[in-house]
Amino acid sequence: MAGHCGARAMAARLGPRAAGSARGVCSAAARRPWRLFGAMCLLRLPRITQPLEKEEEEMVALMEQIELEKSCYSDHEIRKLEEEEQLKRKKESLYDEDEARGKTVIMAQDLEEKWEQKFLQFKAAPRVTDADKSNDRKSLNRKLDSNLMLLVKQKIGNQELWLLPQVEWQPGETLRSTAERAMATFLGDHIQAKVLGNAPFGIYKYKFPRAIRTENNMGAKVFFFKAFLQSRDLSQAELKADYLWVTKKELGEYLKTEYLKKVNRFLLDL
Amino acid sequence: PCRAQPKKKKKVDVKKEQAQKERMKKKLKKLEKAAPELIPIEDFITPLKYSESNRVRSLPTLSPEETERRVLLLKKWCLFKQKQDEAEKKAIKALVESQQEALKELRLESEELYEAAIRRDEGLFPFEREGPSYTPPLPGYDPPEGKCIDITKVYTQ
Repeated sequence: MAGHCGARAMAARLGPRAAGSARGVCSAAARRPWRLFGAMCLLRLPRITQPLEKEEEEMVALMEQIELEKSCYSDHEIRKLEEEEQLKRKKESLYDEDEARGKTVIMAQDLEEKWEQKFLQFKAAPRVTDADKSNDRKSLNRKLDSNLMLLVKQKIGNQELWLLPQVEWQPGETLRSTAERAMATFLGDHIQAKVLGNAPFGIYKYKFPRAIRTENNMGAKVFFFKAFLQSRDLSQAELKADYLWVTKKELGEYLKTEYLKKVNRFLLDL
Repeated sequence: PCRAQPKKKKKVDVKKEQAQKERMKKKLKKLEKAAPELIPIEDFITPLKYSESNRVRSLPTLSPEETERRVLLLKKWCLFKQKQDEAEKKAIKALVESQQEALKELRLESEELYEAAIRRDEGLFPFEREGPSYTPPLPGYDPPEGKCIDITKVYTQ
């Protein structure tokens, strides 16, 4: 199984390899020597619901109206109606003394007002956070209603590119552990992430430029894995390289077109 | 004379007890043979107090424009949902295709990695996660004190 060890041990094996290739060229052509990389697409799942579309809002209003029309009066509403009638009769001052015996101290209207007051006192956390307003792409609190992905700046060849964190595969481990290792290299060991299965979600294949290309080192295949981020904040993580958390729409600003096309295929835009 | 009387009492008692036991057994058998009672679903039975006449809401009848508007809105909603569903299905199809392609390429590379990839991931299920809420959690929020007493009726067959 020496074929898929990549170019690392290339120099040591050129001798026997040349003999092997002379023996049968078809075997070398059947399994091209690609370098394998495992990349991890780490997703931070949304924390708040997405805003409703126009049709959805209209539908919600219609449903509420229909429900109201089909319903009967509840106990609270009947109590309210009776008390309103009592008040009306008191104002006309007809049967005041008879009703005064069974007089209720707290009216339903008062209760409603009390509940309203209590509700207004509660201040919920804002949906548009500070990180949204400052467009701080490094924080996890931005865009709480959509998925955020981790992008890291890595050096490939002589270029510094924005990529999903990837690391070269080493013989003896599965591709999933390569991807997990990639995550650990960039985010530290204290990350809790749920990897979705053993199978890769996508692949990006590219050939090296002619200058570097050799017989045993034609190009690279990057296998993508998906994981859901489960730890709440990453204050413990020491990030060694430049990183960003971006949504699917913003990916286009950072990734190259070919790479982006392949990545977009396995990302569900919710 | 002293011995004879207690003996008779015992016999009669024993016979009576045996007769009682048999009667009980017969009753039990009859009960068991009868079909088990169905557990009533409390949501489907409207309590009688809600069918009184004073409970009926009095609202103005709908104008023809209103009904027209409603029907058109329902049609728009139908179309909207159809488009949403088609988009979802398309996205899922693209996901599956992308995965199949990746597995094909992996197979071309090495069989053992492919086998490792196809293997079932035991640690994946059961997967639990809290869904999104309308507002993000407020840091340092102290919820008010209170106790929740569950009064649902539990039926046994």
